[in-house]
Amino acid sequence: MYPAPFAYHAPRSVDQALALLQRLPEAKILAGGQSLIPLMNLGLARPPALVDVNGLPGLDAVTAEDGHLRLGALVRHHVLETSPVIQQYCPLLAEAAALIGNVRVRHRGTLGGSLAHADPAAELPLVATALGATLEVRRADGVREVAADSFFRGYLVTALEPGELVTGVRVPAFGRGTGYGLAELVRRAGDFAIVAACAVLEIEGTGRCRRVSLALGGIGPQPLRARRVEARLTNDVLTDRRIAEAADAVPDEVSPDSDIHASAAYRRAMARVMAYRALVTAWTRATRQPGRSS
Amino acid sequence: MTMPRTTSDDAGHPSPYRIIGQPLPRFDVVDKVRGATLYAADWRLPGMLVGRILRAIYPSARIRRLSEAKARAFPGVAAVLTAADVPQNARHEDPTGLGLASFATPVLAAERVRYQGEPLALVAAESEVQAQAALEAIEVDYEPLPGVFDVDAALAPQAPRIHEDHDNLLIHWKCQQGDLEEGFRRADVIVERTYRTQRVDHAYLEPEAAVAWVDGDGVVTIRASTQVIEHFREIAEMLRLPHNKVRVIAPFVGGGFGGKEDMTVEPYAALLAWKTGRPVRMAWTRQESLLARPKRHPFTMSYKTGAAKDGRLVAQEIRLMADAGPYPLLSPRVLFAALVAGCGPYRVPNVKIDARAVLTNNVPTSAMRGFGAMQVTFAYESQMDLLADAVGLSALEIRSRNFLRKGDRLPTGEHLETQVALPRVTQEALDALGERAQPSSPSGRVGRGFACNIQPYGRTIWFRDRAHAWIGFEADGSLVIRTGVTDLGSGQAASLAQIASEILGVSMDRIAVHIGDSSLTPLAGGTFATRQLYMSGNAVLKTAQDLRALMVPIAALLLEAAEADVQFADNHVRVVGSPETGLALARVVTECARRGVPTSQLSAFHGGHASPIDLETGQGKTFPDYTFGCHAAEVEVDVETGTVRLRKYVACHDVGRAINPQSVAGQMQGGAVMGAGQALMEDVVLDEGTNLTTLFANYLIPTSLDVPDVRAVVVESGEGKGPFGARGIGEPPNGPPPAAVASAIQDAVGVRLVELPMTPERIFEALRARGEKASERGAGGGGT
Amino acid sequence: MRPMGTEAMPVEERVPLHFVLNGRPVDTWAAPHETLLAVLRDTVGATEVKYGCGEGVCGTCTVLVDGAPTNACLIFGIQVAGHAVMTAKGLATEGDLHPLQRAFVSHEAAQCGFCTPGMLLVAYAFLRDHPGATRREIRAAIAGNLCRCTGYTRIVDAIAACAGTREAPAERAE
Repeated sequence: MYPAPFAYHAPRSVDQALALLQRLPEAKILAGGQSLIPLMNLGLARPPALVDVNGLPGLDAVTAEDGHLRLGALVRHHVLETSPVIQQYCPLLAEAAALIGNVRVRHRGTLGGSLAHADPAAELPLVATALGATLEVRRADGVREVAADSFFRGYLVTALEPGELVTGVRVPAFGRGTGYGLAELVRRAGDFAIVAACAVLEIEGTGRCRRVSLALGGIGPQPLRARRVEARLTNDVLTDRRIAEAADAVPDEVSPDSDIHASAAYRRAMARVMAYRALVTAWTRATRQPGRSS
Repeated sequence: MTMPRTTSDDAGHPSPYRIIGQPLPRFDVVDKVRGATLYAADWRLPGMLVGRILRAIYPSARIRRLSEAKARAFPGVAAVLTAADVPQNARHEDPTGLGLASFATPVLAAERVRYQGEPLALVAAESEVQAQAALEAIEVDYEPLPGVFDVDAALAPQAPRIHEDHDNLLIHWKCQQGDLEEGFRRADVIVERTYRTQRVDHAYLEPEAAVAWVDGDGVVTIRASTQVIEHFREIAEMLRLPHNKVRVIAPFVGGGFGGKEDMTVEPYAALLAWKTGRPVRMAWTRQESLLARPKRHPFTMSYKTGAAKDGRLVAQEIRLMADAGPYPLLSPRVLFAALVAGCGPYRVPNVKIDARAVLTNNVPTSAMRGFGAMQVTFAYESQMDLLADAVGLSALEIRSRNFLRKGDRLPTGEHLETQVALPRVTQEALDALGERAQPSSPSGRVGRGFACNIQPYGRTIWFRDRAHAWIGFEADGSLVIRTGVTDLGSGQAASLAQIASEILGVSMDRIAVHIGDSSLTPLAGGTFATRQLYMSGNAVLKTAQDLRALMVPIAALLLEAAEADVQFADNHVRVVGSPETGLALARVVTECARRGVPTSQLSAFHGGHASPIDLETGQGKTFPDYTFGCHAAEVEVDVETGTVRLRKYVACHDVGRAINPQSVAGQMQGGAVMGAGQALMEDVVLDEGTNLTTLFANYLIPTSLDVPDVRAVVVESGEGKGPFGARGIGEPPNGPPPAAVASAIQDAVGVRLVELPMTPERIFEALRARGEKASERGAGGGGT
Repeated sequence: MRPMGTEAMPVEERVPLHFVLNGRPVDTWAAPHETLLAVLRDTVGATEVKYGCGEGVCGTCTVLVDGAPTNACLIFGIQVAGHAVMTAKGLATEGDLHPLQRAFVSHEAAQCGFCTPGMLLVAYAFLRDHPGATRREIRAAIAGNLCRCTGYTRIVDAIAACAGTREAPAERAE
């Protein structure tokens, strides 16, 4: 019922934190704790040391800068949900955050922590994939950027090497003509999704779909971009029928497993339904903006 | 919309009582909102140790060797106990009260493991960490054995036996009436279906917990979250102590629902305290509880029902099969209640029911709210809907033609002794649904359904149930009630105060109720079988009346009035019709004391008794009485995903007389939501005896967003065997929801599910199988 | 998996811990691995905060940390050093029940009462930030707090009756 003892470290700076992580390869990072501590309560995780990053300065900022939104890794889900800057430049993040767990989890859970935990049924990895987000990853001897596309490697597995810490996430800011949609199938509000789809697309003045990104979650060990579906819709003038036909291609792009929550066949069928709903919502939003004819 | 709509009695008079029937705030709720209530795990004693259980990891195994030497040597460990350390390890039970199906259930498994999670050893240590370390240091050498994981396999001729000297068939109850073959010959339509319900967990918010200690007199005391303090006898037997050397105290319980009716932590905490001589707290983790606590029985129910073309039922053949896990616990009695309620609240002249419980190596199963009579509701109500379709009558009409009435015979041959208010209850439930909702999305379909049920209240008659209460006045006229009731949160204690207040005229704020102590409060029997209000309520009523009868002559003397004209009210005695007369109760108490007249009384209420039923025909008197109800539901089904959203829900029951209408309505709302959980989402998933749903994240119970406002409609026919004509209400509301929801889903999308839970995937599959295009395309893509 | 009780396991060393609980300073000791739930219940004696699951799902361990609803089982005690923690016992003023508590009593929004302390705090924080909330919004706000007894209707009734009321003094740090 209670976690096993550990050596507790609370570094005051990112450099200190990174030095600790390098020195203690078996240490776990304590950010929001909403994924780690349940495992410790159950006795399933017994890290010999924890590096508490909650005190690191400067990692919880939200800033808009030349066409991008930069979010510190320690931005809490609750802030994603309510920040006016995020509402303005990337409302998809706000919508996704509101679906995470419950209010208590949202007050502690962090963006960086959720991405690093990499649960394939979670909202933020899915949205990061759809947005084409870039993660800033630091280590004691340097920094690198990793695209969301290559960050999620498997079930709870990421591209993070030992000693590395996610410090920030950059996403493109939404402009004119951008629409987004998030559709998830959950058993109860706040549960992890059985299947989820996230679509972001840009519609030009002519009605042509310049860019479309469709990410699917809950259908495998990591979120997946449905490239073939995207290819069908790119450069097309979208209609409801076109979207539906494109969504029909989703079941062929995914190979989900069966588990106690849902069978593979049901997941496949629902991936199509969620993809369709996410795309339609995104398209409706993109075409229903001031200055556009519908 | 959510305050109970209480109807007055049939004559249209307002309630004739001052306190009974008032929705008074409960004193225990005040403490609960303050956070002041001390539940079992909140109790602290100096030197208290932490107690933990080592549980078997295989569902079927032999224990070749168990070595606790290393664990004993750990720092901070005060005791490590195994089966050999238990003075009387085998607990003998007679769950039917008839000497059938008796077994020896071990406290700690010695040589044989029969289910995953079965307790093998106990540890007491100074801290949680040390206790966990000691547990992990106990070495167990298992030899996994073939196990039996479904009832058909368990009944096969070569099936491994769960217990060496017992058949895997635990119990077979039978009931026969009339001539079944003749009945089916006369039937114009026959509907045959098999229904399945799942294992359900009680999922009370308070996990099992107790603190045990040995007091100065050597009395082993266990303060436990329990529904039954009478278990002190079994604990004494286990420790080979005289019964009067064990005491069980029940604080307010954070939810029971039958899951704390058998012993949970009590014997283990008691053993550790007795062995170490120190207080021990044992609090189970949620995961431990989900893993190993006995569940609701999964039922397979085969129904063959025949009706005449005017809708009257003519024949009912029922086969019930339940998985009892490896130990009897309360399985025989659950199946018995299912047998009695199996035909539902309907007249059927020709009946044959067979109810069986079968042993397996799955997680044990025992009592849960509704107790067998709950599961069969899904079957008999679904059958009624199908019959309605077959004969071309509405669901309401076919039921109306078959509803039981006062004086009718049940399948067990006994006659119903109280009013059956089903026509009224059903109409009220349907009326309260209001306007049909519009779908909230293009792929949504709205449908409505309802279901009626019968649920026994009170214990099986041949158990000779009784309850005691003690009531006494203090010198200042305040009142004390002592009774061994356990309060699970539905106002058991507060209702008793209301009853005493009505009879003795003491205001509610001057009544103290002491409950749940097997040494200090007269025993009242446990809180289960929807018996508490019936038994303890009547016990308090009788005791209060007996006490009043003792004091009335003195009051009359003081008032210089006739005894018949003396009124007890507002902490005074008065002459009826003369409000200016009035003496404080304290004055009467003083005068009684002066004259040697008692101002306290101990009385018992006996629940009646009868001979057990005939075991071949199932004929005889079974339960004291029954509660009847009807729930109506409106759902919206998303045809593309199969998800079901409850849009509206009404629960209506005849409670005879509502002692506290607010508490009664609260029970109905809570029972309805618990039933909705079983209908739509709850499932204990086992794979070859391994439990796959041991996290609260995986065992899904309804949240506030999964259910709408539940409208509770309280009907009072005035007839019931409880105090003032009350009927029990704890279990009844848990029965109708799955059938009501199944019926509503049928109305919405035309498929009827026969297996619980009715998950989105199952509905989606049913729609697909039906040939309907389950995934419609876009707006305007078809369907209304 | 590191077995418990081996030499590789750090000793349960306690460090001083100072925080504010319901407006009053607390000076105590805690080992790093002790969750706030364990510290509150076992060390400080605040048993109004309950253990229900250890997974952050049930909500019975809800406390407010600097006003934010938090799973006490999913944060370590030492993490609240210097912060303000509020439990259900911080709602009442000088023994008078907070309007939310009174509403729970009059609406009988508690039966067994085990979910009640956590439910009250989530409701309190929600109404503080969303005065005049609708029933639907209230229902969504409490979706993370499980109740097995009441069926939720009365809880929504009680909170809705209070929409428009806020403030309990014990929440502020010293």
